[in-house]
Amino acid sequence: MDKKEPKILKVYEKRKIFYAISCLLIVTFIVLTLVIKLNVAIEFKGGTILTYSYTGELKTEDIEKVVSDTVDDKCTITLGEDTASDSKTIKIQFSSKEGISDDKQNSIKTALTEKFKDNDVKLLESTDVAASNGLDFFLKCLVACAFAAVITIIYIGFRFRKIGGISAGVFSVVALIHDMCMVYGCFVICRFDINANFMAVLLTILGYSINATIIIYDRIRENEKLVGSKYELDQLVNLSITQTMGRSIHTTVTTVLAMATVCMVCFIAGVSSIISFAFPLIIGMIAGVYSSNCIAPTLWVMWEKHKAKKGKGKAAKKEKRSQRR
Amino acid sequence: MKKVKKPVFFIVVICILAFAYLTFFGVHTYYGDTKHTYIKGAEEIRWGIDIQGGVNATFEPAAPAEGSDQPKVEDITNDDMDAAKAIIEQRLVGLNITDSEVYVDYSKKRVIVSFPWQAGESDFDPEAAVAELGETALLTFRKGSEASGEQVLTGKDVKKATAYSDTSDGNSGFAVSLELNESGKEAFANATTELSGTGGQISIWMDDNCISAPRVNEPIRDGSCRITGNFTWNEASSLANKINAGALPFKLSTTSTNIISASLGEGALSAMLLAGVIAFCIIAVYMMIFYRLPGFVASIALFGQVVGTIACISGFFGNISSFTLTIPGIAGIILAIGMGVDANVITAERIKEELNNGKTLNGAIELGYKRAWSAVFDGNITVVFVAIILMGAFGPTDSVFGTLLSPLFAAFGASTAGTIYSLGYTLLVGIILNFVFGIFCSRLMLASLSKFKFLRNRKLYGGAKIDG
Repeated sequence: MDKKEPKILKVYEKRKIFYAISCLLIVTFIVLTLVIKLNVAIEFKGGTILTYSYTGELKTEDIEKVVSDTVDDKCTITLGEDTASDSKTIKIQFSSKEGISDDKQNSIKTALTEKFKDNDVKLLESTDVAASNGLDFFLKCLVACAFAAVITIIYIGFRFRKIGGISAGVFSVVALIHDMCMVYGCFVICRFDINANFMAVLLTILGYSINATIIIYDRIRENEKLVGSKYELDQLVNLSITQTMGRSIHTTVTTVLAMATVCMVCFIAGVSSIISFAFPLIIGMIAGVYSSNCIAPTLWVMWEKHKAKKGKGKAAKKEKRSQRR
Repeated sequence: MKKVKKPVFFIVVICILAFAYLTFFGVHTYYGDTKHTYIKGAEEIRWGIDIQGGVNATFEPAAPAEGSDQPKVEDITNDDMDAAKAIIEQRLVGLNITDSEVYVDYSKKRVIVSFPWQAGESDFDPEAAVAELGETALLTFRKGSEASGEQVLTGKDVKKATAYSDTSDGNSGFAVSLELNESGKEAFANATTELSGTGGQISIWMDDNCISAPRVNEPIRDGSCRITGNFTWNEASSLANKINAGALPFKLSTTSTNIISASLGEGALSAMLLAGVIAFCIIAVYMMIFYRLPGFVASIALFGQVVGTIACISGFFGNISSFTLTIPGIAGIILAIGMGVDANVITAERIKEELNNGKTLNGAIELGYKRAWSAVFDGNITVVFVAIILMGAFGPTDSVFGTLLSPLFAAFGASTAGTIYSLGYTLLVGIILNFVFGIFCSRLMLASLSKFKFLRNRKLYGGAKIDG
């Protein structure tokens, strides 16, 4: 190694700052969730929204009267505009969480088209989900994530058994949960709907975050073999993080740049559905590289040190303490 | 990799370019006005209903009305559900919808249907279509082969139809056996007696569609007969399902319907494409600035990976049928490309490191790929696990991964969100292609390029300037 060797970053020493930042952010997100309500899409919580396009002028009260005459479910009606098809829209939202039958949907449509003949009322979108179906889907997503996490822990435990596998796996999952919290926070703050896009982002970040953590672990594993005897564990981890820093920066910059481009183009073209998916992805990627460098390995070092202390008993503990002083 | 010769680079590049051309444009021949497709081009990608708009509905057997003789929902068998699926498929064809996906969730007794629909399409009413799909099927047996023929039996006279392997009379195909209820025996006996004399037909109708019109060979008096006709297994079981469907004593009602307008119109799709091209160029330029020659090679490899992913979605390969691309599916492609960039970055960084450690150029390239391999492999393989879990959890219940993971997810039933299945697929395909292009091809290309004298400058690989 020549003298141009860059300075080793002191990541482990600064860990408390990282934990504080992350915890603070997560607490903020929880508080925000409680203060401003979450926009859960009805594909998860169940319910009915019918959206029709129309031309000319319509009044909310008139529509409400037609709907309440046709079906006896309570509903709220909002008029709006749809940018994709560039038309005016009627949005009828039913308060019942169990969905309404297709017969009723049909009769509403018929009533509306008959009553407002001149307004060219056409169905644009309809979402009708029974609450139980929505909950099923949501739970299934969670089980899929949990199962993926378990498989990851087992795999990392096996592949990285030389550096204390299972615990490394557990902390990679901690980092993963951290990243998912960040994505969640992004959805809360930006007031995006919690819908299938949200799930897609979470699952994508799941893959991205695990990969980022594994790259670091891989370097730790290699360094352990090459220079493991020369360094303390915390310094070994610092060294590994420093060595992979180039990769971390370049990969993150390229992927984030690519996603930012997608965001920009979609923003200019007015494709909002992609933005609510591309932007949280950027946040998740940044969180992913942060947590895999600053959270997972440092937590893992703390755990390994704690284990070592316990294993050696009280005498060793004292010895170590005095050493540190 | 010492055996890699100079021309290898050009061979790989030409292969990738040819592959790209075929993927984007496909191979078609025109015979008059009919277009014959040998290889599907990128235009033939099927967009998911979240992109092009469409209908996604879940049907469940409706609870029986008070005091009716309908079976309770708990008593409905898997065969009944298959029959229900057959009705819906039959009606979709009747509605001229051919691009649909229908699958059954036996544990939750649901039939899940999705098909594309463009908002504003004036001659098609999606709400009415969904309502029609769930109607009780009207099965009738009529004399003759015309719809106007005299009605002999209806669905409720049929007890059961089963497909079986027919080996009697030297036949080798499959056939359908039909059992009638007491209520239908006499009418059927009379009709068949009359028709067998003249060699007449009895036609079987579901709603307004004739599903079979067997010739009557002999009078059938005991209410059980067979329909033969050199069927394949699929034909026989399809016919049996349809007949059973007509005998289905319950109505299907929707528990969830999603009618989605196109979130990405024509203009938006081209915007997405533009975004993709720009993003790719940015990545390529960035890689070339920071990693020079390995970056250049990485850009070609990434291009190959993108093309390969598109090929797997459009149905380029005969054995992989085309796949519906949804917004989460696009996320999968992005992640896979991200992983591809990552694999190349890791290797390029490693090569740089080894050069700075004083290795020779050939040694550094060799070692760079070798050392990067374990990180790339572990990172990618965990993502493969994730992809498989997604495909198993959110895919059709009868797919390979779905069956594999069914014990885990049975409690939740099949989900209507086929969109996430698409994410799993693009991710899986993308990662496999990453191994092919990001690791194998880029290694070949770089090793071959490094044989050229003018490309042996260590600076081109990010190394400090020492002699080559």
